[in-house]
Amino acid sequence: MRTSMTQRLAAGAGIVVLLILPQLVQERYFLHIAVMAGIYTILTLSWNLLAGYTGQLNLGHAAFFGIGAYTSALVAMKLGISSWFGLLAGGGLAAFFGFLLGFPSLRLSGPYLAITTIGFAEILRLVAINWVDLTRGSLGLSGIPLLSPIRLGSWTMKFYYERDYYYVVLAAVLLTYYCIRRFTHSEFGVSLQALRDDEQGAQSIGINTSRYKLTAFTLSAFFAGIAGALFAHFARLVSPDTMSLHVTFDTLTMTMIGGLGTIAGPILGAVALTFLSEWLRTLEDFLKMDIRLVLYGLLLILTILFMRGGLVGLFKGLAERFRSLQRSRNIGVDHD
Amino acid sequence: MTDILKTEHLSKKFGGLCAVDDVSFALEENLIMGLIGPNGAGKTTLINLISGAIAPSQGRILFDGKEISGLKSHTINNMGIARTFQVVRIFSKLTVIDNVMAAMVDRRQKGPWRLAFESVTEGLTKGAGTSKDRDAAEKLLEFVGIARYRDELAENLPYALTKRLEIARALATRPRLLLLDEPSSGLNPAELVGQIALILEINKQGITILIIEHVMKVIMDISNRLIVLDYGKKIAEGDPQTVYTDPNVVQAYLGSESHAAH
Amino acid sequence: MESLFLQQTLNGLIIGSIYSLIAIGLTMIFGVMKISNFAHGDYSMVGAYTAVFVMAWIPGWIGWVGSVIAAAAVVGILGIVTERIIFRPLIDRWTDIDMIMVSIGLFILLENLAQLFFGATPRMISDPFKSATVNIGGISTSMLRVLCLIFSCFAIGVLQVFLNRSKLGVAIRATSQNRYAAQLMGIDINLIYILTFAVGAALAGVGGVLYGTIFAVHPLMGAMPTLKAFVVTILGGMGNLRGAIFGGFILGIAESLGGNYLSMEYQHAIGFCMIILVLLLRPTGLFGTKESR
Repeated sequence: MRTSMTQRLAAGAGIVVLLILPQLVQERYFLHIAVMAGIYTILTLSWNLLAGYTGQLNLGHAAFFGIGAYTSALVAMKLGISSWFGLLAGGGLAAFFGFLLGFPSLRLSGPYLAITTIGFAEILRLVAINWVDLTRGSLGLSGIPLLSPIRLGSWTMKFYYERDYYYVVLAAVLLTYYCIRRFTHSEFGVSLQALRDDEQGAQSIGINTSRYKLTAFTLSAFFAGIAGALFAHFARLVSPDTMSLHVTFDTLTMTMIGGLGTIAGPILGAVALTFLSEWLRTLEDFLKMDIRLVLYGLLLILTILFMRGGLVGLFKGLAERFRSLQRSRNIGVDHD
Repeated sequence: MTDILKTEHLSKKFGGLCAVDDVSFALEENLIMGLIGPNGAGKTTLINLISGAIAPSQGRILFDGKEISGLKSHTINNMGIARTFQVVRIFSKLTVIDNVMAAMVDRRQKGPWRLAFESVTEGLTKGAGTSKDRDAAEKLLEFVGIARYRDELAENLPYALTKRLEIARALATRPRLLLLDEPSSGLNPAELVGQIALILEINKQGITILIIEHVMKVIMDISNRLIVLDYGKKIAEGDPQTVYTDPNVVQAYLGSESHAAH
Repeated sequence: MESLFLQQTLNGLIIGSIYSLIAIGLTMIFGVMKISNFAHGDYSMVGAYTAVFVMAWIPGWIGWVGSVIAAAAVVGILGIVTERIIFRPLIDRWTDIDMIMVSIGLFILLENLAQLFFGATPRMISDPFKSATVNIGGISTSMLRVLCLIFSCFAIGVLQVFLNRSKLGVAIRATSQNRYAAQLMGIDINLIYILTFAVGAALAGVGGVLYGTIFAVHPLMGAMPTLKAFVVTILGGMGNLRGAIFGGFILGIAESLGGNYLSMEYQHAIGFCMIILVLLLRPTGLFGTKESR
């Protein structure tokens, strides 16, 4: 919240590193993972806005991702216009569905809302499977065009290689981070958190909780849609599985392990688990065992039982301990 | 003096049970009115009706001459009525000062979309709200006496102080009428004295108060008028001394169950 | 034409009875402990795998009965283990969201452990009747399915007797209605929690055997029963046992008839559409009573 000089310097340094990363590690495989980590980061940040800050348990998040992906792909493939329009269309249509899904949340909460949102996503997934004329059913859409080239002065990005996608996704992540951070650290954000902590209390201080929920759902869906659209042009293949419950569960696991209700948490969770996932893949090849998801499940359970604040909470706790140790040392008292 | 609040034949039924039964009364501006009655008499339901948490089955509620019956609680709060709850409803994961700052947001003008948009366009400011709001929130915390807890998480606050936080939060919405639901429950005698002083001070600033209380000492000391409910019906209304000795009131308290004053 | 309708209705009843069986466990656990367990369907999955292995070992009639008993036992124990280790520590500590999250974690864990140990290829539970069919006035169905229906109803009946007549059963119902009053009456809450979870999970396990009998057995099979169980629970009212029983049959028939007369592709969406309607119009469920605070 109050950014000190050191924090700002660290952030600046971090951004510089991120910008020159493709020059430091030229390996395409690494950049591919980095792009996926970025896409997941947008997913986790947007889910967290709804779940962590507004307290609405949306288990249909994958639907927004899928809608963004399909929309952008179809716009590019059927209308032949620049994929950047598709990106916006994907985000926009996802936002519209987010708004719709907000309505059940006005009356439902907890498991009831969870099941309704799952139902919503499942129904959309069935539509994707069965509306074959539009979506090619279970086969999905393949051969999705690359992102349309952009020209900056004399330099053109053609998106033939991961590196170009990396920069676009990085820009999207930074934009998403900026927006979500501004949303949550503002009068809007404090209102959402009030709504989360006690809905009736929030109403008693003039918060129109229904409108705030709808707004949160719409914003959350918009960013998830953008992530989906980026995914479509990067992976160049979308299928009904893009909207499956597993995508939602991945998002949720990353957010919880990173730290629900914080800004760093989703980022940490998404990046850490995406890279961990890849590392596990190589381990799996070695062990001939499929343990990645087993580990996910285990980590999720352990996090909730023992590390409720996620990795961020863990670090904060350690920092506190460190600071109080410093303090007692300064006083000269022999502690412990 | 005008009537800031008026109810006309107000009733609320829950299934077959009539929680509030044909209650009509008027509250003059700037007074403190005590709302008393045995347990289950319908006092909190009446507060809920006035604050908009529930809608009336019958009857009308008028605030400053305008009808507010059936309006939602956030609308009613924006019109100038604030309340506290019998079991505190503070925002546990927010800091004490953020609890108050949340209430200071000008919601009469700005809905969520506008606030969200402005948050992005306003660049990198420091934390929620402008520093002007922060000062005002500080002042409120000082007023209720919990300023030194400003950066504590509200959930870490001792129970008695959460009640004060709720009052500060309610005041932050700049109400003209404040509804207090048993603000003194759980307080020891020393704390009660402070509580009475606080309520009187709030009233001195021009805020009308309707207060539910079981602690007779508090009610008798501060109320200008009393209204008594029993089984949802108004059985007495008037100045404290008269009401206190009204045989109907005595009967209501001692007749049903032995509910002794603290 | 007519017999198609009856045929589908019978199918619906059969599937519905299995839904009821699985959902009863879920609603019981919710009623007594206020836990929404998203891993519930995985209990069914474990039960189904138990049956696969038992029947591979002891084929035929005896094998089938044995596998049902084994499933109940194995899943019952699994239920107790998960209750003690995962759910109990959270019960008074955390929020709704945490409960649901941790059960999602359990769901992911169980699903993928099964995949790890048993492989992804679907298995079948061998039919003790060797595909014999039965003919009732123009409708035919397999003996196996009829057995499933009869067995489900039997299990539900036994449960009802247990809950209404036995001391422990009544204690469970009491705790479901009012936890604190039950404790004041001297009921050992810990025992009740363990028992409820064990019974609830065991029922899901048995339901899983039946489910796996009709459909295939594979590691990811738990997702469907979980969702269906939640749909049934919401239809019937969460915590409401009778509602779960009727809700299961209603869902089964609705899916069967809806699938055949409206649209096969969207068969699975029927349940979700139903609960959206129910939640909007009668949130306490079709059979629920107004919640008393």
